Amino acid sequence: MKTAYAVIFMSILVVFLFTAITTLHPMGYPGHTEMDDYFIKNAQIEVGANNVVTSIVFDYRGFDTLGEATVLFTAVISVVALLRGVKKDEE
Amino acid sequence: MLNWVEFVTLLIIVVAAYFSIRVSNLLFAVVALAALSLLLSLEFYLLKAPDVAIAEAGIGAGLTTAIYVLAIYQIEKRDKKK
Amino acid sequence: MKSDMSTIVKTVTDFLFGFIIIFGIYIIIHGHLTPGGGFQGGAVVASGFALLFVAFARTFLDKKPQQLYGLFESVGLLIFISLAFLGIYRTFFYNFLANSGGLFGMKITQGINPGYFNTAGVVPLMNMAVGFEVACGLSLIVYLLYRGVIEEGEDGE
Repeated sequence: MKTAYAVIFMSILVVFLFTAITTLHPMGYPGHTEMDDYFIKNAQIEVGANNVVTSIVFDYRGFDTLGEATVLFTAVISVVALLRGVKKDEE
Repeated sequence: MLNWVEFVTLLIIVVAAYFSIRVSNLLFAVVALAALSLLLSLEFYLLKAPDVAIAEAGIGAGLTTAIYVLAIYQIEKRDKKK
Repeated sequence: MKSDMSTIVKTVTDFLFGFIIIFGIYIIIHGHLTPGGGFQGGAVVASGFALLFVAFARTFLDKKPQQLYGLFESVGLLIFISLAFLGIYRTFFYNFLANSGGLFGMKITQGINPGYFNTAGVVPLMNMAVGFEVACGLSLIVYLLYRGVIEEGEDGE
């Protein structure tokens, strides 16, 4: 009975995934969005940076970078808390 | 449609991924993972994302390998002590 | 693991360490002109420090740099957040230096240009702050793991 459920579930999943593949964008040809056009047209003038990727990462999407930096900071803090020097006498 | 450089790169990536899962020697698995990261950074570069390629080469191929090797060394040391 | 690595590793590290650090600093401070930025350059600098730890283990473990790394990491994140706060009169993360004519405030033309360094407002400063934080944080992780390995080895023998 369990295998029957698993087979039914897997076949439904496979059908969904294959239908999703058929409707994918072709690689390298993204669909047009207004936001991309705005960034490409105005980022160089507004921010003044030649590198549009950096101007998005640090200016338009600054909150994302702040979150990334905070995640890294928290990871380093947890590593320091795990591997801090513990003296043998205190154990 | 596919460039042959990209084809060979992707093929070696798949082979390296297979080795990194299937091999029983942990150090060999880590080296296969480093090779995967390096070739993945080459693939990012071929797909015209050089900033992601630099990040992948620095973190994936350099630091992650160092951290894994240090962890494996520590585990083996502890196993020998018991 | 009792002492440093062999002479070959030490010599190659002597030769390569400067190049790796210079390359990482180049990626960080030219983040607004060329591909890369704070994260990527910080990772490159940290991999150079990892090479240094592996090659000259004894020398660096005696120096105990973890306080310095922790301090610099916190300072980098604080500079990043305070740069974001300085533009609070418009919005958080407002680029108040761009196109102002002062520090990093040169105006550029749309399209192809030679890539002037004195542009992009707070973006280069944020790149430097984030690069500082990432480099020191990742170096701190590698240093702590390596110290654990060496101390474990000394206890067992």
